[in-house]
Amino acid sequence: AASTEQDPLPSCTPLCRCHRDGVMLWVECSELGLSAVPGSLSPFTAYLDLSMNNISEIQPHAFYQLRFLEELRLSGNQISKIPWQAFSGLYSLKVLMLQNNQLRRIPAEALRDLPNLQSLRLDANFISLVPDRSFEDLRSLRHLWLDDNALVEIPIRALNNLPALQAMTLALNRIQYIPDYAFQNLTSLVVLHLHNNQIRSLGMHCFNGLHSLETLDLNYNELVDFPVAISNLGRLQELGFHNNNIKAIPEKAFEGNPLLQTIHFYDNPIQSVGKSTFQDLPKLQTLSLNGATDIREFPDLTGTTSLETLSLTRAGIWVLPRGMCRQLPDLRILELSRNQIEELPSFHCCQKLEEIGLHYNKIREIRADTFEQLLVLWSIDLSNNAIQNIHPEAFVTIRSLVRLDLSNNHLATLPLAGLSGLAYLKLKGNLALAESFSKESFPKIRVLEVPYAYQCCAYGACNSFFQPNSLWEAEGTGPEGNEIHKRNLELFPGHTDSHYDPDMDVFQLETEESKLQPSIQCTPSPGPFKPCDYLF
Amino acid sequence: MPPNVSQGCQGGCATCSDYNGCMSCKPRLFFFLERTGMKQTGVCLPSCPNGYYGIRLPEKNTCTKCKADCETCFYDSFCTKCKRSFYLHSGKCLKTCLEGFENNNHTMECTSIVH
Repeated sequence: AASTEQDPLPSCTPLCRCHRDGVMLWVECSELGLSAVPGSLSPFTAYLDLSMNNISEIQPHAFYQLRFLEELRLSGNQISKIPWQAFSGLYSLKVLMLQNNQLRRIPAEALRDLPNLQSLRLDANFISLVPDRSFEDLRSLRHLWLDDNALVEIPIRALNNLPALQAMTLALNRIQYIPDYAFQNLTSLVVLHLHNNQIRSLGMHCFNGLHSLETLDLNYNELVDFPVAISNLGRLQELGFHNNNIKAIPEKAFEGNPLLQTIHFYDNPIQSVGKSTFQDLPKLQTLSLNGATDIREFPDLTGTTSLETLSLTRAGIWVLPRGMCRQLPDLRILELSRNQIEELPSFHCCQKLEEIGLHYNKIREIRADTFEQLLVLWSIDLSNNAIQNIHPEAFVTIRSLVRLDLSNNHLATLPLAGLSGLAYLKLKGNLALAESFSKESFPKIRVLEVPYAYQCCAYGACNSFFQPNSLWEAEGTGPEGNEIHKRNLELFPGHTDSHYDPDMDVFQLETEESKLQPSIQCTPSPGPFKPCDYLF
Repeated sequence: MPPNVSQGCQGGCATCSDYNGCMSCKPRLFFFLERTGMKQTGVCLPSCPNGYYGIRLPEKNTCTKCKADCETCFYDSFCTKCKRSFYLHSGKCLKTCLEGFENNNHTMECTSIVH
């Protein structure tokens, strides 16, 4: 029963709010301006929140009679030191929150005799000193937060005897180097966050001993070389080293990590990658590699059979292997823009393909079998190539095609078979494409960009429901960075939020909305100097 | 100061408004949007509420949702306490424990079977 001002439970501490959980009591005293731990705490207190007060000191034995206390929150106070017996008697304590205080060193003496402590939060303090025996008695400790402090090195000896530790963050510190065997006894560690430090180099064996590690976050550091030390992490599933200074990813880089599902390494100046670097990663679902200008050949992805998203942009790939789709049966998104590709294989075996980005290449033709039988393909971007002809049956078997961008090519004609479902069609820049399209050609069209104004006349050239500006703003790759995020910008112009990540459902929503506003956006719209008659 | 930003901000707020609550937090606190019905109110917290975990970055600290089967988590792929009817095992929430482990209905965790 919740306590109230009129009928306070006898053991509830004045000013605090309490409620009973069976026999136990939850005591909530946050943001009361308290400058010391209240004296009259019930022995049946299981949860005590003293956060966001002005407590600067904790008296020895302040919680002595709280044998049943499981969670103690002291975060957001002014605590700069904690005496030896401050937490004595807390045999049942599982969670201790000391984040957002003024601690400069780990209060090692106070952390003795907490046999059941599982979670210890020390983040957002000013800790630069971690005594060797800081966590010595915490044999049940599973989760440790030391992020956002002033550590300049890994506290190796303090971490030497934590057999139950499963998750630890040392992020947002000033660590520059990880020595060999830094975590060698943390055999149960599953998650290790080291992001936002100043790590420049790693010992070859620095991750030895982390037999259970599944997530390693090295993002936002200053690594120059690929972290080869990961080769010992046989159970690694998620690896991040984006925003570093790594220029090359060597052959066999991930040979020791067959369970990898995600690798985030964008915003590195990566120039070269081994041809078989990403081989034999059967769980990998996304591979995003942009701006690696030294890459000339399409990578060998044998054994990497679960890939759903592959983005390889701004490199030097000039040919795509004939059998690439057999290696990538689950591929949904293929982004190969800004390469040197001249000829396309048949993507027929990529049966789950939904989106293809091939803009800014040197493609000359689209054959009958290029996109054959791709039943869920709904978006193709072939803009800025050298396409002269498209086989009449190139789009016939694509049932779901909704977006097609062929702008800035060398087309003289456009085969219409298979294009009746288009909502977005871009053809501008094909100066030899002079034919006019009838309304029946694209019954569901919403946005149409054509080389000449007169080609818009079939869509009610001079009626007011034309909207002058195009939904599609200027294309462009935008700032350096992960092409996979910006790719969505290009496919969905008019959405400048770089985190806008539409999928087919969102797109269908927009298409549904269009039924409410049947207006068709056709540009360039006719005007005084762009008449409806074809003058030539 | 824009007219709608009140003078005295509560707790960890750096800036706030009468209607929206906190709009930015004092350093090192987590910004969280509390939802009551349709209304959203900004609050600044030293730790994220149950069902969310905190991400600390140099420029801001935010709260992000744990997975659907998880009540409290260290990170989105690492749960520290599962929701009702799930058992915790090495950061994962399982409907039933793996071979070699048994469902401990007292702690709601998977405990290894000692032979």
